[in-house]
Amino acid sequence: METLGKKNIKWFFLLPALAYLIIMAILPLVWTLTLSFTRWHANVMPKPKWVGLGNFKYFLFEDPRFWHDLGFTCMYVGISVTVELIIGLILATLLSQRFKGKNFFRVLYLIPMACPPIAVAFLWRMMLHPDIGVINSILTSIGLRAVKWTTSPKVAPFTIIMVDIWEWTPFMFLALLAAFQSLPTELYQAAAVDGASSWQMFVYITLPLITPVIVTISLIRAIDAFKLFELVFGITGAGPGSATESLSYYVYLIGMKWFKLGRGSAVSWLFLAVLLILAMLLISRFKKIKS
Amino acid sequence: MITEHGIQRRSPIGIVIVFLILVIFAIWTIFPIIWAIITSFKEPGESFKATFIPFKQFKPTLYAWQDAFVTTRDRTLRSLRNSIVIATISSAIALILGAFAGYSLARYEFKKWKNKDISLFILSQRMFPPVAVLIPYFLIMQKLHLLDNITAIIIVHTTMNLPLAVWLMLDFFQDLPKELEEAALIDGCGHLKAFLYIALPIAAPGLVAVYVLSFIFSWNEFIFVIVFGYMKAMTLPVMIAGSLSVRGLDFWKVASLSIVAVIPPVVLALVLSRYLVRGLTMGAIKE
Repeated sequence: METLGKKNIKWFFLLPALAYLIIMAILPLVWTLTLSFTRWHANVMPKPKWVGLGNFKYFLFEDPRFWHDLGFTCMYVGISVTVELIIGLILATLLSQRFKGKNFFRVLYLIPMACPPIAVAFLWRMMLHPDIGVINSILTSIGLRAVKWTTSPKVAPFTIIMVDIWEWTPFMFLALLAAFQSLPTELYQAAAVDGASSWQMFVYITLPLITPVIVTISLIRAIDAFKLFELVFGITGAGPGSATESLSYYVYLIGMKWFKLGRGSAVSWLFLAVLLILAMLLISRFKKIKS
Repeated sequence: MITEHGIQRRSPIGIVIVFLILVIFAIWTIFPIIWAIITSFKEPGESFKATFIPFKQFKPTLYAWQDAFVTTRDRTLRSLRNSIVIATISSAIALILGAFAGYSLARYEFKKWKNKDISLFILSQRMFPPVAVLIPYFLIMQKLHLLDNITAIIIVHTTMNLPLAVWLMLDFFQDLPKELEEAALIDGCGHLKAFLYIALPIAAPGLVAVYVLSFIFSWNEFIFVIVFGYMKAMTLPVMIAGSLSVRGLDFWKVASLSIVAVIPPVVLALVLSRYLVRGLTMGAIKE
């Protein structure tokens, strides 16, 4: 072992992890790609049958469900991430000041994102039950109307978004708080001497300095949100109808419930292509951070 | 009032408003957890009612807890044990492979493929959606007769956690001085020894952070366990999903099982809190 040269030792250290990832992540993705050119209904067909681009043609031109799911997923990502960012910014600004009990709030806000998403989903499903859920009971007891949280196709998408905001606003908040704390205090002192208001300080000092951080954490959150599965599975079961069906859920349904492995692989790759755009943006951010 | 960003004066009304916003958000954040605790001490019939105060509004019982730990004892304990075993082992493998690879990328120079390209390639694996590999994984596990076997889930969770483990360990090692190891290498210490006995001990906080973070991700993971662990290899998340039956949702089951599933990751996140942001932002933000 010790006789290995410097050149070999670095590969000896790196190779196990690299090999593991190539075998378990890259090869399966390549396999999915080859399967995507086939028709393979595993329940009734022993072997896949080559169909060329047929599956892709189907999803892109003949399947409104794919476009609906893509649309819903994009809307969900857009609204969730934006609202989480805004609330996170407000809270981080408020909490960046020193006061007693600050740590209490920091610890408390950390709870939602540490919870298993499926537990979050089912707890909310229980509370949002249209007839016997506690939230509608509270609403009606203070004179408001009960809301069809999970049974109205108009409301259900926003129910999922609301729970995502509950779960992930703390991430934005904690990340921004950490970023605020690394800002140079001299700038603020200088601005204060010049008589700048706190709003002016926020707009002209904090925001420009914090923008790269905002872009990075929004991309991280967006990529994660794009994989939406647990909340849909737990809160609405993709319903009513398929009003809250996300792309991840559709892939799961086609591949693991209907066992259409060819179609499932094709839709996986379409999904992957969309995510790839976001991933490339994030990777280029990391390239900048690292250099 | 002196803020961290300079000198600012706030009126008492301003302070009250700030405090009010924080409290409202705190109530919104904690309510589902409180409600789960309340519901877990109710009888099934009572669990559908909006009563809050024990003894006054409803008679607290241990029905839900007995249901989980006496009536369906075997399933609950099996899920709990599987969750613990899977998270413990898969995080350990990810950490070991990740520490070696991260160290290699932090301390040695790769000429043909640049260090940065290798590490970004590894990080990119973190961003792919798990559903994109479900079908090949299913076919592989079927071939290996590993369906409904915790080995399959351990392998898969290791894959899921490895990219971040490599990336974060690389980040931690880059922050540490390399002079100690260089001195040891000049004194004739081997590369492996320098890594194991000098670099690893000083990176201990990083190792703990990566392990705990991987543990939380594995513990919380759902898609793979519902596909590869339906009965024998079921974990707590699968069991929670099982509280939805044809009769509807068993509120008391959701409540008690969720509490059991929520406690470990929340406690670990508190332990980790100094490194949590760094881990979740992939090292982009350091506290």
